[in-house]
Amino acid sequence: MTESPLLSVRDLSVRFRTGGGHVRAVDGVSFDVRRGETLAVLGESGSGKSVTAQAVMGILPKPAGEIAGGTIVYDGRDLLAEDPNRVRRLRGDEIAMVFQDPLSSLNPVFRVGWQIGEMFRRHRGASRRAARAAAVELMERVGIPAAARRVDDFPHQFSGGMRQRIMIAMALALRPRLLIADEPTTALDVTVQAQIMRLLADLRREEGMALVLITHDLGVVADVADRALLMYAGRAVETGGIREVYDHAAHPYTRGLMASIPDLDGPRERLTPVRGAPPNLLALPSGCSFHPRCPHATDRCRADDPVLRAVDGRPAEHRAACHHAEEVVAGERERV
Amino acid sequence: MSANGSEPLLSVRDLHTTFPLRSALLRRVTGHVQAVAGVSFDLRRGETLGLVGESGSGKSTLARTVIGLERAASGTVTFDGRELTSASPAELRAARRDVQMIFQDPYSSLNPRRTAGQIVAEAWEIHPGVVPRSRWRDEARDLLARVGLDPSHADRYPHQFSGGQRQRLGIARALALRPKLVICDEAVSALDVSIQAQVLNLLADLQADLGLTYLFIAHDLSVVRHVSDRVAVMYAGRVVELAEQEEIFRRPTHPYTQALLSAVPVPRPWSQPPRERILLTGDVPSPADPPSGCRFRTRCWKARDECAEVEPALEPRLGLHPSACHFAELPAAHR
Repeated sequence: MTESPLLSVRDLSVRFRTGGGHVRAVDGVSFDVRRGETLAVLGESGSGKSVTAQAVMGILPKPAGEIAGGTIVYDGRDLLAEDPNRVRRLRGDEIAMVFQDPLSSLNPVFRVGWQIGEMFRRHRGASRRAARAAAVELMERVGIPAAARRVDDFPHQFSGGMRQRIMIAMALALRPRLLIADEPTTALDVTVQAQIMRLLADLRREEGMALVLITHDLGVVADVADRALLMYAGRAVETGGIREVYDHAAHPYTRGLMASIPDLDGPRERLTPVRGAPPNLLALPSGCSFHPRCPHATDRCRADDPVLRAVDGRPAEHRAACHHAEEVVAGERERV
Repeated sequence: MSANGSEPLLSVRDLHTTFPLRSALLRRVTGHVQAVAGVSFDLRRGETLGLVGESGSGKSTLARTVIGLERAASGTVTFDGRELTSASPAELRAARRDVQMIFQDPYSSLNPRRTAGQIVAEAWEIHPGVVPRSRWRDEARDLLARVGLDPSHADRYPHQFSGGQRQRLGIARALALRPKLVICDEAVSALDVSIQAQVLNLLADLQADLGLTYLFIAHDLSVVRHVSDRVAVMYAGRVVELAEQEEIFRRPTHPYTQALLSAVPVPRPWSQPPRERILLTGDVPSPADPPSGCRFRTRCWKARDECAEVEPALEPRLGLHPSACHFAELPAAHR
């Protein structure tokens, strides 16, 4: 018997009203987050990865964005059908989020300890003194040196990496079971990036929470993620165990992304990037949205939109939305 | 001036750039920030020198000082045989024609009210005599084609292009005056990875076709390795290690370079021999109040008393390339 997933998203669609018309920023995306696992959601700008997270968190920009269909089930409860007030409390208590830019998510005029403590005061009814003590403890937990002294500092007195640690402390305050981190290290220097990824991985293990890491950087999550979900133009195009997907990419887009990253070792060869540019969501190509950029495209790709499906000869949980997935996997074997 | 093939195109010696710190109230100068603190290097004709470092390392200020956007506090910048820090305005103007810059954010560096064709031709207005007015339209279209844009889009405005196309437009503009040196300041950092790879290939093609010399500033070490012939690693306003690309990546001897390399995320870590991960603690020191001696010592696991007393010179160590560490040593795997 398999345990039910912590989060189950089915056929999610999100629509945005823009000056040029309606855009389907997320189009029929389904995925699960299992209890305690780390899922990497990967894609370039416009892929819909952040919008998917916003839909789960109930923070879509209003009134432009709205959920146009699908279900989001958290721990057996349908977040889109339940009483909004109860869902809001659930999102505060059990599902937390960390954003790319900590400076714009922290209030510049309040001391950081007060802001972290607010979580305990508001959600747990803690006293000021208890909330402050809890804030210091959390700051120590996320690796802020001299936490007891710095608890009364303001956000601008911290470096970018330290501010991101403060955001993580706030997200962890209520001991969530699901943490969604949207590009948590993108604005940080590489040495600090490594520190934050390590911290997130350690905290996930210690807390036993599930972690969703949203990023454009295939490298930063390779060490810590269990599974990967790749998105392109609002669709899920490939999913599976992270090593399986990276080593045996079955979607030409995944393969193109891998080939676009310069190596840190090995010979320096000319890069073979995906040609062209991501499509305009207002005027998506017919059939498979990726076909104009795809070296494998055939007439079938221009007519039929492929669905996410198992790939012959690969583990069952490895799925790709490509008519030619087997051919794509085989191509890799020829080259090796 | 002579353009002797063997003399470096750019020669920077002991360059310092400082910014005054002022009090909030009376605007009195209360101290100085040393953004660039004694940097020397040569840039050979036709090569790409990668400049890496984290935020606050001074790499962008160094580039801005070289190009004359910041005033050097001391030191010299010699470009193509001309000493620029003491040059007359006319000489500077001429030199600036030969040195162009490509910025990180193409959108904010392109005038939104001008068409692609006008943006490229703008430089010819400022520097008459490079391209006669009657040729502007054709030349602009040629340049757009050269960087992979559709020449028929010369009448479009920046907002009508995608991010990658705008960066191509920024490159076309930089090439308009047929420069000898192009400084790329995080030129591909804001681009999606598939587009980034396209632009890197374009930069390589342009270098091969036009004999360009690049000073390539980036924080992404995989990208720097990909494009650079030599690499300079900066930390807190100083160059801490400088070598051929392969030396820096295979045989780094400065602890900061080693830490930086060990932190670079690789897409398939399991396919490589296990790497020693050096997790640095703390942050880059404040440039207003740098540590005595070696500026890296506050984060260095090798630091001893000597490091606080004597600033290590950037000089060849272990019979290898220049490294500014008293205790320079090869990574464990090489010992």
